[in-house]
Amino acid sequence: MMAIRELKVCLLGDTGVGKSSIVCRFVQDHFDHNISPTIGASFMTKTVPCGNELHKFLIWDTAGQERFHSLAPMYYRGSAAAVIVYDITKQDSFHTLKKWVKELKEHGPENIVMAIAGNKCDLSDIREVPMKDAKEYAESIGAIVVETSAKNAVNIEELFQGISRQIPPLDPHENGNNGAIKLGKQTSQTGGN
Amino acid sequence: MCTAEATASLLQVEETFSACLARIDALILKPLLQAEPTDQKGKENLKLFLLLNDQFQALWNLTEENYRILKQKCSTSESFCIQDIYTLKGPNYQIYQLVGCEAWKHHKTVLKQFLTDFTSETSMSLALYTVLHKPIRDHIMQYILLLTKLNEVLKEVGSFYMMLLDWVIAIKEYMKLESFVSQVLDEACFTKSLWKSLGYKFTDMLCVPERRLLEDSKNLPISASTNRSDRILLFDDVLVLIQASLQYGLRIVTPEETFFLSAKDPQMKAVWQWKLNQAVRQALNGKRDFPLWGKTGEGTEPPSCRFFTYVFKLEGKFKSATYEGEWHWGKPHGKGTLKWRDGRNHVGDFKEGLEHGFGICLVPRRSEDRYDCYKCHWYKGKMRGYGICEYGNDMVYKGYFKDNVRQGFGILENCSAEHPFKYTGQWENDKKNGYGVWEDKDRGERYIGTWLDDHKHGQGIVVTQSGVCYQRTFHADKMVGSGILLLEDDYVYEGNFTEDLTFVGKGKLSFANGFILEGTFTNKSGQGLQTHGVLNTSNEQLDDRITKAQLGLKEFPVEKRWKGIYDQFLEFIHSGCKEETEESFMGFHIQTSKELRKSQEYLFCQRYEGTEDVSWRTEDILEELVQHQGLESLPSYLEKALKSSLHPLGKLLKALTIAFQATYSGIGANKHLLTMAQEEIKYYAKKIWEFYQGLLRLALEQKGQLPANDQKACSMVLPLILPCFYPELFMLYMLYHEREDDLYCQGIMDLSLFPDIKLLEFLDVQKHLWPLKDLTLTTNQRRSLIKDKCFLSATECLQKLITTVDPREKLVILQKTYEEIESTVSRVVEKDYKLPMDDLLPLLMYVVSRAKIQHLGAEIHLIRDLMDPTNQGGLYDFLLTALESCYEHIQRMRLHQRETCHVTHSS
Repeated sequence: MMAIRELKVCLLGDTGVGKSSIVCRFVQDHFDHNISPTIGASFMTKTVPCGNELHKFLIWDTAGQERFHSLAPMYYRGSAAAVIVYDITKQDSFHTLKKWVKELKEHGPENIVMAIAGNKCDLSDIREVPMKDAKEYAESIGAIVVETSAKNAVNIEELFQGISRQIPPLDPHENGNNGAIKLGKQTSQTGGN
Repeated sequence: MCTAEATASLLQVEETFSACLARIDALILKPLLQAEPTDQKGKENLKLFLLLNDQFQALWNLTEENYRILKQKCSTSESFCIQDIYTLKGPNYQIYQLVGCEAWKHHKTVLKQFLTDFTSETSMSLALYTVLHKPIRDHIMQYILLLTKLNEVLKEVGSFYMMLLDWVIAIKEYMKLESFVSQVLDEACFTKSLWKSLGYKFTDMLCVPERRLLEDSKNLPISASTNRSDRILLFDDVLVLIQASLQYGLRIVTPEETFFLSAKDPQMKAVWQWKLNQAVRQALNGKRDFPLWGKTGEGTEPPSCRFFTYVFKLEGKFKSATYEGEWHWGKPHGKGTLKWRDGRNHVGDFKEGLEHGFGICLVPRRSEDRYDCYKCHWYKGKMRGYGICEYGNDMVYKGYFKDNVRQGFGILENCSAEHPFKYTGQWENDKKNGYGVWEDKDRGERYIGTWLDDHKHGQGIVVTQSGVCYQRTFHADKMVGSGILLLEDDYVYEGNFTEDLTFVGKGKLSFANGFILEGTFTNKSGQGLQTHGVLNTSNEQLDDRITKAQLGLKEFPVEKRWKGIYDQFLEFIHSGCKEETEESFMGFHIQTSKELRKSQEYLFCQRYEGTEDVSWRTEDILEELVQHQGLESLPSYLEKALKSSLHPLGKLLKALTIAFQATYSGIGANKHLLTMAQEEIKYYAKKIWEFYQGLLRLALEQKGQLPANDQKACSMVLPLILPCFYPELFMLYMLYHEREDDLYCQGIMDLSLFPDIKLLEFLDVQKHLWPLKDLTLTTNQRRSLIKDKCFLSATECLQKLITTVDPREKLVILQKTYEEIESTVSRVVEKDYKLPMDDLLPLLMYVVSRAKIQHLGAEIHLIRDLMDPTNQGGLYDFLLTALESCYEHIQRMRLHQRETCHVTHSS
């Protein structure tokens, strides 16, 4: 049996960019979908294999409304990764994304993995944010970037695989450097080696 | 008599003696020397005989030499003087003494040999004895006679006064020699007769040629201990105690003495025994009768356990005390009452003559007409284990004792009107020592800290009625060094201050608004507080690190608090959970008399009154532990155990509850103690789980089973014990979050004025989610004015939050609240609707503001601190965070509103 690592992932982005759609798409068809309890589309989990580990994503949605912005730190504290979503058809949402990145850099957990998702790539004909802009920006901050379509299930898996790859492998002497990285049961870990 | 005459007679004496010795040598010693000894004993005797022979030869040689010198003197010189005679005698005398002594000792042995070898020929041994010792005795006698005569002559002459003195000494020495020889002989005879009288069993063991008997208890009666029939023999080298054979002995045990009677034969013994028993029986029955000899069976034997009264007489702690009660084998054993003349008395259990088990002891106080009343467990005559002492001076101690002094965990309370106080904590050798809490009820102060020999010593926290608290170092009750003083209104002072809280010397005062004043403080009488220093106004924010500073975390790590309670439990487990130790650990047992039962009412280990079918005997408890070790039945078993004061775990919990309340209730309800309290409860849970495992391991070992190494259930204890500490703990949370909760409450009050639709709109809940269907209107109602109708089921569900204690249950309520929201929304949109956070947060905010939970901040943080840490990052953590964000948001709305108010007012 492989070691299970629980990874808290926080979803940020303007309301209406399709944060929860991405997660719903990612989680749907999952074998333990019906077993794992969820809070609507606000809290979901999915376990994926990565190397000789299993990554259990604990995905926390946040409210995208501007007025709730100041509550975000309560949600992203202890996160291993943040998925910041913008709508490629809305320039404003990309602008908000930059604000989130800035805030995470300043107040977010150390070594948090940032993934930028340009959602609604199925609507590329009314695109406002060029792919190039997003790529350049992501590069400048060292973040993963993909354009996704929750509707057509494009790049959803890849987005989370990218996150998995960026999570440093578990140092057996260290119990993870932030609160969200946890070991499963000790027994299962030794069983995996 | 002239000198020549004296010399002549001396010469003659010497000559005769020499001849005599020659004869003995030829006739007795020479033939004996040739005899070949056959056995071991003979060989030993031969060794001794050779020694005797050597000394005999030496004596003979000396005599010969002496004779030769005397003769020479006599023939050669006319001027032979008395001094010469004396010088001649001097060395002789020494040798005589030596030889005489040794010779006779050895003669004895030789005779002994003859005795053993030829027992029939006693006459021969007697003859030998005479032959060997008589010449020497006679010879010495003659010397004495001669010397005495010479002495008289010299006196007449009157010359050589100095020499005269020497003569007197010489005569005295010879007389001493004479008496020495006779004593040696007596002793030898005495010893010989002993060897004859003792059985060979003893002679084999004791008979050694050199050994002499000095005293025998038969001649001068003395007895060892109480055993009168013992025989004591004092030898020159050993002391021998011969214990009488108890074959026909009767051991008589009286309360203070034990002795033996011994009868000549079994019949006599039986008669004595029977008569003694009948006498005892009749005395116990209080009436005389004439039983038939030998009649046995029911009622004829006195019982081995008896009831009677006795006054102790011998020196010791029971001296002149009267014991009335049960006896067994001559010792107080069972229940009884001891009364001393001074008014002291002890009622309780006795074992083998000592107080053992539960007892009540009254000790009069020296000065007043009052008593100290101990209700304690005794162990071999000393107080040990749990007990209560009501002292005559209105103080009450409830706690553990050891060797008659307060030791371990205990509570001392002074209930008198004068200076009432209460100490809860560790005792060592009758004094406060270690971690303890002292409450001074007059001053309205509580000291939480370490003690040394009844004094505050080391680190300590003082909390006061007014809410002020400080942490200082104490030295023999006095405060030393600087400390931290946490004042009302969130002022914090760091530095030196006096007991009446006046600042002295260098210090730093932080104001609630973030200003900091650093300087030197003085306080001259009449002039108030003065200071020279710097006021730093750059920081204009409340700093939680200062206003909510937590005390005692470094100074009193949880492991060091209440050790006395845990130690008692450990001791109980290490002793193998014996029924006996269980009682003194747990308190008192049921079968004690009504009077004792009454005293239980004071205990913190109330008997579990109820019609439960559970037995709480130790062995049953252990058996049950084994049966309920499975994860399915364990929680309910643990819950039951922890609720019962008869179960060791329940008892432990009770004691911890008392310690906790003593620290954190009343005056101790201070926000600066929250973390201490919270950590302490978690540690209690950890310890209780450890002790549970200890008990289980023991139970399994007793059954020969191996304990399973299972840690997975350790988190189940905390929720089970939390109810015991909840009121105090929640109070601390309320105080800690007071400011936030106030702000939130104001926000809730504002929102409560909104009608439902207005509120939904205000919170930006999407219109298609509004549950307008739920609004049924009467004719005179308008939809827009309806209040508290929407999401009612979710609101009511959330309100149940305050009815539970267990963090997990609270989290379940939270989950159900969400489910209620979801089901309402699904009903409204007529399909399964998975709420994203964009929709959920406004809805949740609506429900929270309608639920109007007063101390929501305290609730949230209590759940967060005490929930199972494995929840972190998971569903429950998410829900709790969502709730917390609502709580925060409502506060911020309120703050924002206040600011806009200010703006509008000022504009």
